[in-house]
Amino acid sequence: MGLISLAAAKTLASSAAFLFITVLLMAAAKRTATCIALFSAQCAIITAQILATAYLHHSGEGFLVAILVFAVKVVIIPYALLRVVKGLKTAGEVETSTTPVQSVYITAALIPLAFVVVRPYVRALAVDGQLLAAAVALVLSGAFLMVSRKKALMQVIGLVVLENGIFVAAITTTSGMPLVIEIGIFFDLLIGVLLMGVFVFRIRDTFDHVDVSKLRQLRG
Amino acid sequence: MTYALDVLQLLLLLAAAPLVRGVVSCLKARLQNRHGASVWRPYSELRKLFSKEDLVPPTASPVFRLAPVVLFAATVAAAAFVPALHGSALLGATGDFILLAYLLALGRFFLILGATDGGSPFGGMGASREALVSTLAEAPLLLGLTAVAIAAHTATIAGMVRWTLAQQFFHLSAVHALAFAALALVAIAETGRVPVDNPATHLELTMIHEAMVLEYSGPSLAWIEWAGAIKLSAMMALLIALFMPWGMPVSFSVAGLVVAPVVFALKMAAVAAGLALLESGMAKLRMYLVPDFLGMACALSILAVVFTAMMR
Repeated sequence: MGLISLAAAKTLASSAAFLFITVLLMAAAKRTATCIALFSAQCAIITAQILATAYLHHSGEGFLVAILVFAVKVVIIPYALLRVVKGLKTAGEVETSTTPVQSVYITAALIPLAFVVVRPYVRALAVDGQLLAAAVALVLSGAFLMVSRKKALMQVIGLVVLENGIFVAAITTTSGMPLVIEIGIFFDLLIGVLLMGVFVFRIRDTFDHVDVSKLRQLRG
Repeated sequence: MTYALDVLQLLLLLAAAPLVRGVVSCLKARLQNRHGASVWRPYSELRKLFSKEDLVPPTASPVFRLAPVVLFAATVAAAAFVPALHGSALLGATGDFILLAYLLALGRFFLILGATDGGSPFGGMGASREALVSTLAEAPLLLGLTAVAIAAHTATIAGMVRWTLAQQFFHLSAVHALAFAALALVAIAETGRVPVDNPATHLELTMIHEAMVLEYSGPSLAWIEWAGAIKLSAMMALLIALFMPWGMPVSFSVAGLVVAPVVFALKMAAVAAGLALLESGMAKLRMYLVPDFLGMACALSILAVVFTAMMR
């Protein structure tokens, strides 16, 4: 079974690079649907990473977590978000407060920042520096998506990207959290996203748009 | 023996260039549910153009006639840097990637001169747009190649390819992924393909390359068309050689000699199919969005260079 463990090791080694690319593409994406597809791809990469970690650490729970991640993050959340996009019937443009190129440059600057930030932890914890940096970059870029995008739905996507970062940090520094906690987090996230989807519809119904930069006054 | 192979691969790049173009447009036609022209059509077009009379505007200076030939020569010289069949190239040892980039720039410069010399307003418009695009494409092209050069510790294209060949696929880091993304965007802009320029139309006010060559006819146009085809396949071969060279023979052997052209043809076909898919799936960008497109490439290439320091 040398081949599988080799593949697992390579998956771990290259997943950071792929995560960086999804982050950059998300910054460049102009349509909400593209962002959702990218989020799904990002979670597929994380699933592969969990599978590889589980195989290398011989943990049965890890495979279960991978299945959960796949079901919740690769399939259900993107599907729910796409339903929201379709249901909103407003234009599917992202509408940024920065231009797409500025977003890419800012995200590109966040990635080296992530590398610098994780340096002491990499030394102290003896973990994979690239993966930890990818985790921090996901957190930072998720936060950046939330503050720079005007559509309410993009704030949801930013939040789930941010959560992905925390998740990757957890599986990189430890070899995985206890299964009960994982399940709890996933249901939390799922319900959170569904609630936020409903909330976006409510914003649309009340204000006739989902542009959060225009939400200045209360309305009943 | 390697020398013979170097010459052979250059001749292959030159001779197969119109075929690559034909394959791309044929695939595009099929994807758009049209029957499409034969893949050999670019050859017959070239033959037709070479047998025609060369019409020169009465106001044009000798530069007008000179430009296509210089463009062709510079493009052929640039193609001589690209390893296709094995890990070296005809000029691979004599010059580095900077020379390659500026040989391409020299060709463009002369085409711009020729276009403005022709005296038609379309030529001048196309030339100014081409100047804009090439100015913006230069930084990401050089930076992307620099990132690979730093990773490979060599400045020659052939050296980089040999270094990549010695690596395993999964050992390639984010540097390569980012540099590939940047250079792919640049290659699209450099060769005037769809999101930046539409090679299939003479009827748009947004055209770049076609506007420049509007005044050209006969053999001059043939040189330009052939140079464009060579540039496209050289760029594709360069991306293949830098980022997916596996399959090239590392040392000289008969088996390698047989396998290499087949593998190269398959890879070129795959890239051509990707290009056709991309071109069918995307709309041409507005002219004022092209700087954004290339700015993206620039961000990626800067990040690639930064990563060479991070990944140590």
